Amino acid sequence: MNRFVPLLLMAGLLFAAGCSKAPETAAPAGPASTGGSGKKLTLGFMPKSKGNAYFISCKQGADEAAKELGVELLFDGPTDPDPAKQNEIVENWITQGVDAIAVACENKDGISTALRKAKQKGIKIVTFDSDAATDAREFFVNQATPEGIGYALMDEAARLTGEAGDFAIITASLTAANMNEWRKHIDARLAAKYPKMKLVTVRPCDDMKDKAQSEATALLSAYPNLKLIMAICSPAVPGAAEAVKQAGKTGTVKVIGLGLPNENRRYVKEGVTQSVILWKTVDLGYLTIQATYAVAKGELKAGATTFKAGRLGAMEIQGDNILLGKPFVFNKDNIDQFDF
Amino acid sequence: MIKRNFRELSVAVALGLLLAFLAVAAPAFYQPQPLLSLLAREAPALVVACGMALVIISRQIDISVGSQFAVCGVSSGLLVAAHWPVALVFPLAILMGAALGAVNGLLVAGLRLPSIVVTLATMVTWREGLRWLRQGQFVNLPDGGQWFGMAQTTGQITLVVAAVLLLVLLAWGMKNLAVGRQVYAVGSDAEAARLAGIRPPLVTMGTFVFIGALAGLAAMMNLAQSPQVDPKSGMGLELKVIAAVVVGGVAISGGRGNLWGVFAGFLLLACISPALTHLHIQAYWEKAIQGGIILLAVVADGLRSRRSNRTGGGAP
Amino acid sequence: MKQGLRTFFLRHETILLLILVAEWCYFNSVGRHFGSLDNSFDIVRHSVEIGLLAVVMTPIILTGGIDLSVGSLLGLCAIVFGKLWRDAGWSVGSAAMGTVVLGALAGGLNATLITWLRLPPLIVTLGTYSLFRGVAEAVTQGVDTFTNFPASFLFIGQERWLGIPAQAPFFLLVAGVVWLLVHRTTWGRSWRAIGFSPEGARYAGIPVGRRLATVYVMAGIVAALAAIIYTARLGQAKADAGSGYELFAITAVVLGGTSIFGGTGSVHGTLLGVAAIAVLNNGLVHARQPREVGGMLTGLLLILTMAASVLPKMLAKARPTGHATGRNTQSQTNA
Repeated sequence: MNRFVPLLLMAGLLFAAGCSKAPETAAPAGPASTGGSGKKLTLGFMPKSKGNAYFISCKQGADEAAKELGVELLFDGPTDPDPAKQNEIVENWITQGVDAIAVACENKDGISTALRKAKQKGIKIVTFDSDAATDAREFFVNQATPEGIGYALMDEAARLTGEAGDFAIITASLTAANMNEWRKHIDARLAAKYPKMKLVTVRPCDDMKDKAQSEATALLSAYPNLKLIMAICSPAVPGAAEAVKQAGKTGTVKVIGLGLPNENRRYVKEGVTQSVILWKTVDLGYLTIQATYAVAKGELKAGATTFKAGRLGAMEIQGDNILLGKPFVFNKDNIDQFDF
Repeated sequence: MIKRNFRELSVAVALGLLLAFLAVAAPAFYQPQPLLSLLAREAPALVVACGMALVIISRQIDISVGSQFAVCGVSSGLLVAAHWPVALVFPLAILMGAALGAVNGLLVAGLRLPSIVVTLATMVTWREGLRWLRQGQFVNLPDGGQWFGMAQTTGQITLVVAAVLLLVLLAWGMKNLAVGRQVYAVGSDAEAARLAGIRPPLVTMGTFVFIGALAGLAAMMNLAQSPQVDPKSGMGLELKVIAAVVVGGVAISGGRGNLWGVFAGFLLLACISPALTHLHIQAYWEKAIQGGIILLAVVADGLRSRRSNRTGGGAP
Repeated sequence: MKQGLRTFFLRHETILLLILVAEWCYFNSVGRHFGSLDNSFDIVRHSVEIGLLAVVMTPIILTGGIDLSVGSLLGLCAIVFGKLWRDAGWSVGSAAMGTVVLGALAGGLNATLITWLRLPPLIVTLGTYSLFRGVAEAVTQGVDTFTNFPASFLFIGQERWLGIPAQAPFFLLVAGVVWLLVHRTTWGRSWRAIGFSPEGARYAGIPVGRRLATVYVMAGIVAALAAIIYTARLGQAKADAGSGYELFAITAVVLGGTSIFGGTGSVHGTLLGVAAIAVLNNGLVHARQPREVGGMLTGLLLILTMAASVLPKMLAKARPTGHATGRNTQSQTNA
């Protein structure tokens, strides 16, 4: 009897596997039908990590575009930024036979292998936020190059400190790929243009606001000549600002960074945080899905120089980069116009 | 006396050496205002560490505290944002933490499931549930609620004093109250404790509810320090406090250790990161140093017990 | 016979197998491509690294120990592998050998502290958990990433060999060896004995220290192997590789019915545990459910399967003895 039960279970398994065949034949879909006129397209939209307010606001725009275009949008990503998990989701989508994938890459090299595989199967790939290897995708929706972000941050820091003095960086983790990329360009800009400024240290905050606040508190007392804190992950901007405020150094130590308006509004208004640099994330999501749809439909091909993206109008294309426009600087004067 | 409290004393000496070294090499560490801020930042974790000490002394472990902390923080943040009075939210947060702790307690004491697995499961469940519901969005609190309405310095002092007071009371209670002794008794030998008339499941249940309540309290203490609540808060808190408790000389096998050692261990580990910042050392080696200190503390202990075993001829 | 059937259904592995079947059926009915061969192979490829760690964690937990450092060690090994290959100019093969040696040494460090100094494994590996990850970050300053490995190396992580994922044979080999060790040799029996009672095992003449050391060194070696496969699958090595994998591995082992206190458990149970988690996470994508639900369900599954295997025993014990004495026997067996 004991030996019989596993057999029963195996039989059940096989039966279940058999069941699944029926719907499969009923709906002969898959990647083959890409570009088919009547069928609803399925697009995958992957953030670097879920549960991140930045990508949630991107998704808002993506949902809007998906509704306009009448496509099905799959939103999935790792719960913590993890290249291995991103890979798995891409491969999962390949098997599911999505028509196109839009992805924000945690790590260039980590995901490109999976994306190339998808490309081979006829799935169109568009990257946004941060790029993959250029041969692994059709287009990159470029909200700002790492160079553009690095330079913008460094220039803003120089402007606020009068191009002289010490500053410190708070980053998410020492291994975060895109932040390391930005830091490279910050360093380059610093060396080239601002000889009187000095980057004293880089501290990780594990992408948590509480830890950023503690780190900034220690920084403020350890480096009494500090002129500015540059927070390059979004939770660190309000964290650093709160520390500066509590230390009574509002105005003497400036705070800038990359972050969302809603998280920083109060500090910008109080004058603790001088400027927050970001692009219009909702538009980024919207543009990405518009572009992904056009690529999947075959309407947008390599070599195009402009692209008409719904409510955004005509967008410029440089090479294989679709440009969203320059990073936007939120400050006291304009922050109230934005709600995301 | 020295022999009995060797571990606690050696951690305290290590802490003293570090602080003395800082006084020479980086006196800026001792500026009163930043130091107070630093202590206030660490106060919530100290409160949780006290609870963890009790749990580990009773021979259990709770790795879900970080998630409990986040759940309590975000829910009480939402209540405060909905303009509930802080005086009402405060006890609610503690109650909520106690309820989350009771879930662990019921599974561990009631069903006799191993605490490390139960709390691993609840850790993941609470954390993912929170992420699902909040999608990483900060809770923005209304203006004026910070420091529970006190001035900043008063607020910071209150938090630090409250945390230390809790520790002192617990240290006294563990030694002098019957309840405290029961925790030790259950931790060193549950069967003997039962024969002596103690009800081990009740004690276990109690410690889990207690650490949950402390996680709720800590969440409120954290909430007071900033006008926003980050739903990611408390990630890694469990490892931080377990490390502090263990470095402080509490035996992971239960029944041994005291809160003074935990205090010293906690301060030692909490000082490392700001100390490195003050010594202008880059962050790259920080994790390795943290790990090294934990190993050093237990290795010193191991070597000592090995030697005393050999000379004293104690039980193998 | 009725009794036999009942114990069979109460066995942990059976409960788990039923859950696995239920998962499979459900996802098959919801996700159109879930049941395809491609997807099954995807599940295998995605769970090899965690599977390796879980398999080798099983004997550790059988002895009543635990190893929190395997995920960090995976990261460190990936870095060292990349460094040996790119910076020291070693061939992929010798770099892999070097990495395995490092894994063995790192496992040896854990083993030394645990056996020679008789320190609790939880604390030792909590320390090396920080230490290994910290060294990996320090060596690369977090920034350095190793890529552009030769295609012949990437093959083992990305391609198929004789129709099956190329990393599967490695996994089967390790799983097979560990299974044989645990279930068919005196080593396995001594690990269980140590898990039940280290003192008893010592008096029974088992060289407890050496037997314990083996499981930790083995874990180090397999973590190194997992690091190499991870690097081949992703085509890159970075200091954050394998973060959090130790918890997945422990979850799979416990879900598979191995007692966290040591003494009882099985490698095939662990394999079922790995499969249950992997199928759940993969299936949820096909069912288009949010990923967070996967984490929550894993937590609930863990509690439910454990409760399911404990409750009937508790009830059975409570029933015949009735009042006062019932509680006595119960707490004695559980003490």
